[in-house]
Amino acid sequence: MHHANHFYGHAHVMAEYAGLDPEHPPRINGYLQHGWNVVDGLGGGTPYVPGRPIFVFSEQTRRRAWSMGRRQATVVGAPFLYLMTYAEPAPADQVREGTIWYPFHGWERQQVRGDHQRLVDEILETEQGAPVTFCLYWHEYRNDQIRAEYEKAGFRVICHGYRGHMWRDTDRFFLHKQLAELRRHKRVASNRLSSAIFHGVAAGCEPAVYGDPMYLDKEHPPTAERIRRQWPELHGKHPDPVDAYASAMAELGAGYLASPAELRAILGWTARRPAVVTA
Amino acid sequence: MIGGDMPGWTEDRPPVGGALFGYLVDQLPAGATVLVAGPHTDALVDALAARTSVTCLVRSQPTAIELEARGIEVLCGTIAKLTDTEQYDVVVALDGLDRLCSVEGPQLDWAESLQALKRALRPGGMLLLAVENELGVHRLVDSASATSAQTDDAWRPLGEFDTKPGNPTRLAETLSAEGLAIDWLGSAWPFPAAPTLIATPNALRDGPVDALAAVTAGAVGRAYADRPVLSDPRRLAAAAVRGGLGPEFASAWLVVAHRAPRPSATLNLPPVLISDGPAPSAPPAQAVPPTGAVLATGAMPPAEAGPSAEAGPSAEATPSVGSVMELVPDRDGGWTRRVIRAAGDRDLSALNGPLPAGRLLEELLLGACLRHDLPLVRRLLTGWMATLPTATPDNIVVHKDAFTLLDGTLPAQGDVLRRFALTLLGGGYAHPWPAATDLATLTSVLHGAAGLPDDLVAVEPGLELPLPDSRREHEEQLRALRRQLADAASRAQWYERELDKREKELNKARLQISAFSGTVSYRVAKLGIGVARKARNRIRKGLR
Repeated sequence: MHHANHFYGHAHVMAEYAGLDPEHPPRINGYLQHGWNVVDGLGGGTPYVPGRPIFVFSEQTRRRAWSMGRRQATVVGAPFLYLMTYAEPAPADQVREGTIWYPFHGWERQQVRGDHQRLVDEILETEQGAPVTFCLYWHEYRNDQIRAEYEKAGFRVICHGYRGHMWRDTDRFFLHKQLAELRRHKRVASNRLSSAIFHGVAAGCEPAVYGDPMYLDKEHPPTAERIRRQWPELHGKHPDPVDAYASAMAELGAGYLASPAELRAILGWTARRPAVVTA
Repeated sequence: MIGGDMPGWTEDRPPVGGALFGYLVDQLPAGATVLVAGPHTDALVDALAARTSVTCLVRSQPTAIELEARGIEVLCGTIAKLTDTEQYDVVVALDGLDRLCSVEGPQLDWAESLQALKRALRPGGMLLLAVENELGVHRLVDSASATSAQTDDAWRPLGEFDTKPGNPTRLAETLSAEGLAIDWLGSAWPFPAAPTLIATPNALRDGPVDALAAVTAGAVGRAYADRPVLSDPRRLAAAAVRGGLGPEFASAWLVVAHRAPRPSATLNLPPVLISDGPAPSAPPAQAVPPTGAVLATGAMPPAEAGPSAEAGPSAEATPSVGSVMELVPDRDGGWTRRVIRAAGDRDLSALNGPLPAGRLLEELLLGACLRHDLPLVRRLLTGWMATLPTATPDNIVVHKDAFTLLDGTLPAQGDVLRRFALTLLGGGYAHPWPAATDLATLTSVLHGAAGLPDDLVAVEPGLELPLPDSRREHEEQLRALRRQLADAASRAQWYERELDKREKELNKARLQISAFSGTVSYRVAKLGIGVARKARNRIRKGLR
């Protein structure tokens, strides 16, 4: 339906889980929520086609979507949880170490305001000498200046890949790479509560949300404040891991995953819809 | 002939009867003198005549002649002419008091008719009386109103404006004021004319409420299988029983009362009586399409579908040969079901034993769907398919993780998940898959959610049990169809916009391809011709 379904290889992960060709996932008959959000599950600016479902992560998101007039929101759970059901387990001898840090990213046309150096100092102070991996959004990763700033601080700087655009150049192993990296770390942290934190908790990391939240140019600050009010158990430098786990898994829709057969029927994949083919 | 008789008149609504009434009259003391007031089936009268001395009070002369021909004593005329010169041990008025007055002479209301019947009862004599509840589930779901009845017997359609008491307590008070003391009272479903379930207020209060709600839903469900109604009577009846309002919303109340001072005989009746009614395995020959079929095919159901619920079922459709079961409390605090009268070919021995505890699967599923509790919905579907995959969810009770058949003698059904999908769509229930608006998609989703493969087996529509055909659900289907149509229209616009975009991209690509294909001289010539053509066109435009 919309190219955002293919962001981060989500459609590919769902197709693999559903027993279909993961390289060429069929068109999804609706909108797959492509990241955690506090609205109806759709990304901002997605042109909504009436009568088509939004496949959301959690029941809470479904309720919110309903209250916003989206009558056909359907809970399926996060693609990341689907990946975890069939991904290879981490190597037995792998030891978790340090923190993987996801600085808040805007998307391609948004610019983040904030002082990167101050953030680096706060991270160094909080993580107390443990190794820090800095995972940048792809367009920040391509900016040599930003990358150098973090490398200078002694961080390992990585990127999980390109999320894709208009069904093209999608790195369909984005989530696989993220899962592998998360499993190497003890903690997952960010300056904003985001999908990466939830994925990190699901992959077994202890979460932390701290540092300058770095607002976007045209951002609505009350929303950011609302997030802090609603999920205090996921904020702070060392939140209680048990509470954080329960909260994060609920947001990802743990316990709501559909069976492969049910998923095929829900996503409109029973009639063997043709795959989205792009050059 | 006592006066006020109606020559050439036959009742246009069928007489009352059925297995449960048959059981009740069989309990009357043998050898008693019995007055049967109003139209009762031949089966009832004959059963009574075999054991007692029967006199029938009817207003129709042809009926009186028929009865007489069969050797039955008859009083033909209007109840107003009934005198107290003859008094009886028992008065049976299971048809209520509405069909005792003829068109001739004074028109007695309910209270006056009761007084007239009482006078025919000797002291200590027994009255067996049915009282229709004007707020009963059968009235609430009826699309016609009693006060505008058009049948020939409705020359004075009082309906709820009669002097009839409106609940069991008032009924007891009214009878008591007439010197009639109640010995037993039962609430009856689904129709006053031929109940298939009778339960005492005590059983409804202290008994297995979930199972009784399920039995009640089953009784009205069977009765309304293909009748047009305002709303689904199963939900209404079950909700009333669960909410402690069973007697208040029952279709009728049955009382056994005696004329003061003390009873000369008593009836020993169980707290709950159930009849299996018409055989459920055979769908009616001209069943209206199931409600959900409207969504599946897009066709509207015929405007005039089947007989009106107003008339109730004919007693012929509910033969008095039906089986009768009783529910009684056992020593362990549970309830036991026992077949006390078996009829027909079905082997009912499976029904003997403890009544399965728990709540109806269909209600649990609907509740879980409305709550959007997907894990619970999936657990229920999976448990159902793993244990009883050929039983409909309105015949299964669930207690903790145990799935038990309510009636193990019913025949196996085909794709029961498809039927539940029909219930969800037809009833307009909210459920976790709102985008699955067609029957096939929702059925395959349910198959997946139940842990089955998602490929579906085709079901012949004729083999499916019909669902209640409800006006409210038609409204909901209409609303759903309107929304789907509007959605489809705006989706078509969206596709057109997408198509435009793609066509532009395609044209651009074609232009690029043609610009970069061919030899250099050919491309230069082509470019030159293109420029020349444009220039020529511009000049032509300028000249005009």
